[in-house]
Amino acid sequence: MAIIFQSLAIIDPSGIKDPSDFIFDEQNGLRELKGENIPADAVNIDCKGLYASQGWVDLKCFNGEPGLEYKEDLESLGQGLAKGGFVKAVLLPNTDPAIQTKSDVEFLKTRTKDFFSKIIIQGALTKDTKGEDFTEILDLANSGVKVFGDGLKPLANSDRLMKALQYLQKFDGIVFDHSYDPLLAIFGQMHEGEASTRLGMKGIPPLAEEVAIQKNIEILKYTGGRLHFQTVSTIKSVKLIREAKKEGLAVTADVSLYQLLFSDEDLATFDTNMKVKPPFRGESEREALLGGLKDGTIDAIVSNHRPHDFDAKHIEFDFAGHGMLGLQTFLPGLIQLEKELGWPLLIEKVTSGPNKVLGESEDNSLVIFDPKKKWKFNSKTNTSKSNNSPWFGKELTGQVKYLINRNKYIKINE
Amino acid sequence: MSQLSTRHLLGIKDITEQDIHTIFDTAQNFKEVINRPIKKVPSLRDITIANIFFENSTRTKLSFELAEKRLSADVVNFSSSNSSVKKGETLIDTVNNILSMKVDMVVMRHSSPGAAHFLSRNIKANIVNAGDGTHEHPTQALLDAYSIREKLGDVAGKKVAIIGDILHSRVALSNIFCLQKLGAEVMVCGPITLLPKHIASLGVKVEYDVQKALEWCDVANVLRIQLERQQIKYFPSLREYSLYYGINRKMLDRLDKEIVIMHPGPINRGVELNSDVADSEHSIILHQVENGVAVRMAVLYLLAGAK
Repeated sequence: MAIIFQSLAIIDPSGIKDPSDFIFDEQNGLRELKGENIPADAVNIDCKGLYASQGWVDLKCFNGEPGLEYKEDLESLGQGLAKGGFVKAVLLPNTDPAIQTKSDVEFLKTRTKDFFSKIIIQGALTKDTKGEDFTEILDLANSGVKVFGDGLKPLANSDRLMKALQYLQKFDGIVFDHSYDPLLAIFGQMHEGEASTRLGMKGIPPLAEEVAIQKNIEILKYTGGRLHFQTVSTIKSVKLIREAKKEGLAVTADVSLYQLLFSDEDLATFDTNMKVKPPFRGESEREALLGGLKDGTIDAIVSNHRPHDFDAKHIEFDFAGHGMLGLQTFLPGLIQLEKELGWPLLIEKVTSGPNKVLGESEDNSLVIFDPKKKWKFNSKTNTSKSNNSPWFGKELTGQVKYLINRNKYIKINE
Repeated sequence: MSQLSTRHLLGIKDITEQDIHTIFDTAQNFKEVINRPIKKVPSLRDITIANIFFENSTRTKLSFELAEKRLSADVVNFSSSNSSVKKGETLIDTVNNILSMKVDMVVMRHSSPGAAHFLSRNIKANIVNAGDGTHEHPTQALLDAYSIREKLGDVAGKKVAIIGDILHSRVALSNIFCLQKLGAEVMVCGPITLLPKHIASLGVKVEYDVQKALEWCDVANVLRIQLERQQIKYFPSLREYSLYYGINRKMLDRLDKEIVIMHPGPINRGVELNSDVADSEHSIILHQVENGVAVRMAVLYLLAGAK
């Protein structure tokens, strides 16, 4: 059955196109309607006021299966990805046990084969993501894994990072790293600054991240290979990556969407939903990150989706887990940045930007969304098994309506 | 009954200057009461207060308990040196269990900053924060400021130096907020590794030389070295600390003025404070202890009235 999307305004990195009509069917996929015969049974969808772009790609997303299904399982994650407008997502390896063997990879592939969104598996670089012994990297690569890292944990051991960058060159693998020096961040609960001083909390200084990024860039210079910095958060990190790119190093970076929407001042009431890693920082850091997105230093915006069960967040602040939900709230978050960054740039950072990081070509996917639709994020609408979001229970603006991916079509919200 | 602007005392940050004056005026009355032959008043009869201490405490707990008993409240105590979480029970469960026994107010000490805020969002009783990790210890700051006022007539315009381990001190933060609200100037002094990097952003002066701090101030509030809260090493040895940051009589004699010495206790004698200072005529340390009971009576009385 064919579907006609009437008056659809497509956004791509070059701009927002004038609305035109598109036709989709499962045999031929999506194309602009130009003098083609319209099948008699075609369904018309009026898209006035809606926007569309290529489907979105998330480079950092937490999955709890196996072992942590009570936070998020693959089924709930799959629904969240579709509701969030994602046609592709890199899953973190920090399950229990970690995704670190060929059979772990086969398990994920089997469980996600019918997913609407394409799942890209990040394989653990070291056993149990402990930063010590390597996993069987080539064996994992032969199972189709090309992204490696310890996910939520930094590769703080310089020797491990150096050898990983070397070893992965055999198959053009990419090291993903959330770089920070754990010793400089020790006992830290939030960004080190005036707010942490006022709240009497141990801070995580920007230095912890910057020292690691600087060191890792130097290692990359020595080894060659591909290094992707995840969820950068400081002024100097952006500067260091900008300079590394100018030098021609194969380095890329992403930033967490909610890093651009909240600050350390939002922790004033010890709300554990605001406890995230990297920590929310100040306005000057936020401006530097926006600058990094604008000039191409930062390639992608990620959901940094990190679900936590009720008990992990309903607890004293320093015992609470890090992170917040990021999938269904992704579009409402992007909308908050639209005035500062504009749709074409935002779309670049969730489509061609992350695709370039992964070395993947553009596809024929499409996400159609209503930038003005108001909806309530609550237990009825939430697809996650967790609800750790400061937006939970609140009215949000912006909703994904339809998705097309790999010649399949689904209605998300009508 | 005078009312406070809040139904909990979570921190000095969260109360107004007027609240502080109300507490002081009420404490003044209670100080007179506790110096009578019959030291007890029936103000909190039928009110049950639970003192829940997840960290070791001797004097704060004793002071609260005495304040509660002087006000005729019914008192229950729960102490655990380990956090409830380590015992496999959440803080909320522990407290709810105690509240099921129909407790009206909770006085809590806990190792986590914000623990009292967390509790206040989740239970119905009035909460008094008796120290939450390295965040605040509001009743200590109130009794410190009350003691300064009693000794010097006023807090406004006075120069107060807080000396020692500022990084691990809840007393320092509450004192800074309280003294600034009352119009005092505040300086912090200690080894640089024991001062929060951004402490100056709170509007305090920062000094690394103790003698210079003593020369500047009218009041020196000397803090205990919190060895139990220092998870890693911040200075080489206690000997070196006492030599370079400890206060002795000679240092006071070098000053061309008299200053007031305070300490929240318990004192590490010979470390941050020598006995010839702690027991000298400059010291108001024992007045602080006495005022502690009166100030805590005032806080409990006013919060009970805020129900």
